[in-house]
Amino acid sequence: MSNSSEPPFEDPGANGKIQPGAYYGRGIPYLPINQYPGKLIAIEGTDGVGRSKQIQLLREWLEVKGYGVVETGWTRSPLMQPTIELAKSSNTLNKLTFVLLYATDFADRLEKEIIPALKAGFVVLSDRYIFTALARAGVRGIDRAWLRSLYAFAIAPHLVFYLKIDVETLIGRVLDSRGMDFWESGMDLKHGDDIYDSFRAYQNKLLREYASMADEFHFRVVDARRSIDHIQDELRRQVAAFLEPTERPAEAAAVR
Amino acid sequence: MTFSLLHATDFADRLLYKIIPPLKAGMIVLADRYAYTAFARDATRGVDQRWVRELYSFAVRPDLALYFRVPIDVSLDRLMARRVKLKFYEAGMDLGWSTNPVESFRLFQGKVLNEYDRIVEEFGLEVIDASGSITDQQRIVRALIARKVRTSSASDDVEITDEQLV
Repeated sequence: MSNSSEPPFEDPGANGKIQPGAYYGRGIPYLPINQYPGKLIAIEGTDGVGRSKQIQLLREWLEVKGYGVVETGWTRSPLMQPTIELAKSSNTLNKLTFVLLYATDFADRLEKEIIPALKAGFVVLSDRYIFTALARAGVRGIDRAWLRSLYAFAIAPHLVFYLKIDVETLIGRVLDSRGMDFWESGMDLKHGDDIYDSFRAYQNKLLREYASMADEFHFRVVDARRSIDHIQDELRRQVAAFLEPTERPAEAAAVR
Repeated sequence: MTFSLLHATDFADRLLYKIIPPLKAGMIVLADRYAYTAFARDATRGVDQRWVRELYSFAVRPDLALYFRVPIDVSLDRLMARRVKLKFYEAGMDLGWSTNPVESFRLFQGKVLNEYDRIVEEFGLEVIDASGSITDQQRIVRALIARKVRTSSASDDVEITDEQLV
């Protein structure tokens, strides 16, 4: 339905023009975001990679250091969460509708949580960010250019940590904890009835999608196969170097 | 922005369940409002126009789009004649332009109408003067549709495939 003769939205990252803390594309015209004191840090990674634990530790550490911290997470908007859960529990969800539900949830959190927190000077820790949406939709065959223009209203995080894992290690961890679930196994893609095979195939595809975005969106790749403490140390070192460039990196680890 | 995406989500669901299947079956689908409503409403609320058009690029382009144009005073009179209270969002009260619903409606819908005028040009909508009588309007509508139905049945209906949607 696009009839515009003007060029489409800039492809974020296509020419390295991403500016941390600014909108990827043309953004939200009625919410200008120049000059705010807060910082946005996204922790990305597939299901079961240990994001929540890392965010919890990171938050405690940041608060001890005196930062105000706000957490936000995928599908957590009060407006959309019940709808998304309902749609997932029934079988009426088309993949396009799915994508738009996620985008609506994200828009709500961006307008009501993320931007106000950034303006108030908080460090916003985002458990997953738009890259999860891009990866999941990409695996499901949704047009990548359209997805990028859809999320052109998102803010480019100051830091994006990608917790990278291989599918073998991931399978071990997921089976060790809560087991494989329908959506995390991509059973909606109908690769077959076997949840194990489906999980492996789906997560492999997701990991490839994430890998393909690493350069485009300036991911800081963190090896998630290591122990929780190792990963946390690395995150803290990098966050400290970013927030307090003058501080010696050694201090970051000492305030544990 | 959230408002815009909520509507788009609803639209996607209706498109895939209520619009495309009958089209594939060769039926005529009458849509009371379409993506153009979103273009006008969202632009008035300050959402980027190009973004909204890109967002709706998954929509099927209608074979015929009719725009019933009416001056703001006529629409206001008609609404007031039937109801006491204007709806909150219909009057654009969320924008805080005026605390008086009628005044807010006039400001908000006035801007919406300006947006529609641009959309008419951009997408080639057929404009029907809606201040005339219903009978007159219906005659025009029937003539337009009759012409369209004849031409498209002669040229074989357009096939819609999933690839175009996503």
